[in-house]
Amino acid sequence: MRSLAVLLVVASCLAPGWCAASKAVATDERVATEFFEKKIRPLLAKHCYECHARDKAGDSGELAVDSRAALLKGGDRGPIIVAGKPEESMLLKAVKYSDPKLQMPPEGKLPDAEIELLNKWITDGAFVPEYGVAAEKKAKEIDWTVARQFWSVRPLGRVAIPESPNAALANPLDSFIVAKLHENGLAPSAMADKRTLIRRLSFDLIGLPPSFDDVAEFLADERPDAYERLADQFLASPHFGERWARYWLDLARYVDDTPDWQKTTEQAWLYRDWVVRAFNEDRPYDEFVKLQLAADMTPNLAPEDYAALGFIGLSPQYWKELKLAPSVIEVIVADEWDERLDAVSRTFLGLTVACARCHDHKFDPITTRDYYALAGVFASTDLSDRPLLPSPLAEQVREARRKVDSLKESLKKIKEKESEEAKKIEQHIADIRAATPQIDSPMAPTIEEASVFVVADGPDATKLDIRKRQPRDLPVFRRGNPANPGEIVPRRFLELFSHRVGNAHRMDASSVRDTAVTDGQGVHPTVDSGSVASEQPRRFQHGSGRGELADAIMHEAQALTARVIVNRIWSHHFGRGLVRTPSDFGQQGERPSHPELLDWLSAELRGGGRESGGERERMLSDSGWMLKRLHRSIVTSGTYRQSSKVDDSVSSSPSLALDPDNQLLWRMNRRRLDIESWRDAMLDVAGNLNDALGGPALNLDLPTNRRRTLYGKIGREEQNDMLRTFDFPPPTAHSPARDVTTTPLQQLFVLNSTFVESQAAAITSGLADGSMDERMTTVYQRLFQRNPSADERRIGTAFLTPASPERGRSYVKALLGLNEFLFVD
Amino acid sequence: MPSKQSDISSSLSRRHMLQTLGGGFGAVGLAGLLNQASAKELAAHVAPRAKRVIHLFMNGGPFGPDFLDPKPGVVKFEGQRPAELDSFRTERKTAGLLPSPFQFAPHGESGVPVSELLPHFAECIDDVCVLRSVYTDNPNHGPALLLMNNGTIVPTRPSMGSWFSYGLGTENESLPGYVVLCPGRPVRFSILWTSAFLPGEHQGTYINHSNLDPQKLIPYLRNASQSADEQQRQLELMRALNGQHLKERSEDKQLESRITAMETAFRMQFAATEAFDLNYEPKHIREEYGSSHFANGCLLARRLAERGVRFTQVYYGDGQPWDTHNDHNNSVKKLAKDIDQPMAALLRDLKRRGMLDETLVIWGGEFGRTPTTENGNGRDHNHYGFTMWLAGGGIRGGMTFGETDDFGFQAVHNRVHIHDLHATILHQLGLNHERLTYRYAGRDFRLTDVAGKVLHDVIA
Repeated sequence: MRSLAVLLVVASCLAPGWCAASKAVATDERVATEFFEKKIRPLLAKHCYECHARDKAGDSGELAVDSRAALLKGGDRGPIIVAGKPEESMLLKAVKYSDPKLQMPPEGKLPDAEIELLNKWITDGAFVPEYGVAAEKKAKEIDWTVARQFWSVRPLGRVAIPESPNAALANPLDSFIVAKLHENGLAPSAMADKRTLIRRLSFDLIGLPPSFDDVAEFLADERPDAYERLADQFLASPHFGERWARYWLDLARYVDDTPDWQKTTEQAWLYRDWVVRAFNEDRPYDEFVKLQLAADMTPNLAPEDYAALGFIGLSPQYWKELKLAPSVIEVIVADEWDERLDAVSRTFLGLTVACARCHDHKFDPITTRDYYALAGVFASTDLSDRPLLPSPLAEQVREARRKVDSLKESLKKIKEKESEEAKKIEQHIADIRAATPQIDSPMAPTIEEASVFVVADGPDATKLDIRKRQPRDLPVFRRGNPANPGEIVPRRFLELFSHRVGNAHRMDASSVRDTAVTDGQGVHPTVDSGSVASEQPRRFQHGSGRGELADAIMHEAQALTARVIVNRIWSHHFGRGLVRTPSDFGQQGERPSHPELLDWLSAELRGGGRESGGERERMLSDSGWMLKRLHRSIVTSGTYRQSSKVDDSVSSSPSLALDPDNQLLWRMNRRRLDIESWRDAMLDVAGNLNDALGGPALNLDLPTNRRRTLYGKIGREEQNDMLRTFDFPPPTAHSPARDVTTTPLQQLFVLNSTFVESQAAAITSGLADGSMDERMTTVYQRLFQRNPSADERRIGTAFLTPASPERGRSYVKALLGLNEFLFVD
Repeated sequence: MPSKQSDISSSLSRRHMLQTLGGGFGAVGLAGLLNQASAKELAAHVAPRAKRVIHLFMNGGPFGPDFLDPKPGVVKFEGQRPAELDSFRTERKTAGLLPSPFQFAPHGESGVPVSELLPHFAECIDDVCVLRSVYTDNPNHGPALLLMNNGTIVPTRPSMGSWFSYGLGTENESLPGYVVLCPGRPVRFSILWTSAFLPGEHQGTYINHSNLDPQKLIPYLRNASQSADEQQRQLELMRALNGQHLKERSEDKQLESRITAMETAFRMQFAATEAFDLNYEPKHIREEYGSSHFANGCLLARRLAERGVRFTQVYYGDGQPWDTHNDHNNSVKKLAKDIDQPMAALLRDLKRRGMLDETLVIWGGEFGRTPTTENGNGRDHNHYGFTMWLAGGGIRGGMTFGETDDFGFQAVHNRVHIHDLHATILHQLGLNHERLTYRYAGRDFRLTDVAGKVLHDVIA
């Protein structure tokens, strides 16, 4: 390869080269210019600019073909064109694919006609005219009007509830589903039986099975609203928050334990418990979002709400070797900002803003300027623990701890522990501790207003300069490279959402709600260009801008934010979202299966004063963002209460033939329990579950750990074997949804783990004396909340004969391993 | 191990095509590919040369000029630090040049020079392609380990073994498809074999083989209290009761696939126990490999390769034993003695069994070491240029590729980035590194990110 390049350089020096063309007479030049502009430049633009443009050449052999000078110069292998000699020109070699090591363009060989054009151009002297300014490649223009009408970001309008042929449908949600089913020649399934319903609802809302007695009570309850009462009971249970917090923690890449060189996350549970409480107390979603992004910027805050900042406070940190040059460390620091921006934008907005780090987003209307405007918010925010105490007491404790830590450091350096100096330091520490009675309050992983600057420390090394309350704007890092800064972008929200609606310039919640509702034009509201004007996005004014970011998420991006959270909640109830890419609501994401329903639910969640609509439409409430109402609306729907079974035989079911994936929800989806519910259920039926709420995390491998799986210790470096085997996502990045895999390694856990073994043993040894049949019945009641069938009795009896304690344990263990225990109909 | 195809009938024709394309690779693991890539994209993948990979990982980073990249000229500069080395910044400060004291001689028909540290391995050199010009992006262990294993320094991406498993599936449903052997804990640990956003079944199964009792190697592999007969009866009970449950739910493939997985797990207890039990190896084979942890790792790797495991990594040791910041020469003598015989035995053994052609063996660390000294007798990390070798799996033997500068500091000719190495491994496995993608967080991810070129010059 090297010799080839050398040869080319030599050849091009000897060849007549470029001068021949430039001496051409004016008419020839005009013809040559026309040929180049009409035939050659479009070809280069189409096949080469993507990699070989001036702003990308660094990644592509330093070769750029989008300007005259660059094209003539060639790349780091030398010139690519030898005028008049196509056979010696590297360009021709590359496009002809004659050399296996040099084949361009990489996606496939050009058509012969195009190769022939290049051949002719070089043969004729490879004339290159001056590229005009107009000829330079322009950034793709975003058509904002079109972008703002994309289904996920357009305002939530009033959605007409479909007329139902069955007037009895009390829940509008069902009207949407049934209308769509009818449109497609399908019909909903029958309602599931009551035993199935209570088991489904119990696992779904609190993550635990009902007891046999619960089931019996529900079966006996003949009140017409027995099911609704049951739902309310589960929604009011403190276990509801435990169940639903875990879904949120997957998004937040929650972690209890990080490598020892990182800031400790020992008190991470304060954040976890905050999320549990927030769901239990049904704190409105707008408040829930705001506190996680900017609790510290919220007036009149209850001190325990600082724990909400764990969403960013528990972000992954990457190793920064300060013995290296700042240019290396800058990239790593930028990676951290990137991960935070990614987690925030995907969690709250369902947008993959991080795709715009190196170039404008390839699919969505998000620019690199947008990216760095938001990255500036994270660059102005630093991880820092704080006690859950009111200010300024918290600051005093923080400061005292900082002093004590630094005194302890200096104490370590003193060898002689009995020296005067050492004693003096110890006394100093004791004084500080005495003066600060709350110094040992748990420190929650939170954040503070502080910017990280990567600066040189001497000629070789780096130091991190943390500047408190000095928010910073970042430049665009060209191609994602901090060493190649472009223009500085003020901190602000995404341009996509910075348009005015009506005359509202700065919108507060209520005005947005009103405007969005009254602006809506039926099922597919569009942005009315008369009342909307694009404007420069407003700069964030207050500190890092986290507070304004949270406001923008809830107001400017309100429609999107509402759709995203509604879809997440829906997906956990049904096992699949109305949008199947819960963290990507952009072009690359899937479209909703029921867009009107999603919009209707989102508008209901947001709430706001309705002018009309009657009782039926106002099923949720006027006050916005109440999640439990959304849960209730979903789980009390007829759609949710459908049976998961296929009524007809599998081969003849028309529904199965028309919609095998159940996209339109003609039945309920059967679901596998996640590891948390499955482990908790085993502990529960064995009578071993300690269902206390909250507190520090505990290693799941401890045989004595009988707490709910939610409280098991989650490590970033050290993942628990059991969790890993059962699809628990690695907490290194935002996880939109879990995979559901079925592997033999999982079944080894059933067959051989001491955990399953001990639950089986606990159940067996707890059985009262009685006949084999009675004992079998008790086991079925505990595990499956039903009595065994005649066949099951027969199979069980055969297995248990001759009876022995070992055989009994073996039997119970097999039952714990059954599909019926793991799957919910 | 992936679950069964959820829709078997519709994928049969595609499977058939893929099997034909894939040179007879088991189709089980193609589930992921079929879900993600269209058949048209797959058709562009290349003919496979290797079915599996064994990676001998010298964690900590060995120094190439001790083994396979002789730099006799450095002697003249001993203790000096030529001006052209000023710009090379590594993790710590290094001083003047310290020549490697080990002698080289040409070996085999190819005459590739090998140092006296590797007398056994030297006999296999005609099967080995020495890459003298590998470089990576960062001189710290963590990022360099991540780049080598996960193709990026950001700890959020799938490991290469997960990509292999995702791309090819498993050949043996009774064993994990991707096994990581280490007699201890390597630095950064499980992130180095994570499946990240790829389906969880593709993560590496980490096995600390310092204890060779097979039942302690895989979590939950054997049952302490039940006999095999008793388990068999229990399995039959589960089959019968699950059958009752399935009767009304026969359309649900996930129920059936769990029943199958349970039976596979039952067989796996014995298959895996057998695979991991070195007592099945005859004495002369045990002796050929030697008795160190690394020797056992190499022999286990061969047993797993025989049984269809796609990717076995053998970490040299606990922590990072090759990280010789002090007393480099003495440490390296011991380390070399430990790896020489097992590496040679592995290559010979694979060859005898006719497996070397389809097993790609890779050797190297996460980076190399500096030709300049640290602390007088140590060597610092060097990411500018280092040595690795490849053998088998369609790689040309008896050759060297690339060059470092006169001091062995920086790769200067035919430079090989880790992305290029990954692209080449995937290529040998029949996978096009630009087309093996997974859609996540709004874009298609690759092991090689947006870079990587296949090293066609080293392919036989």
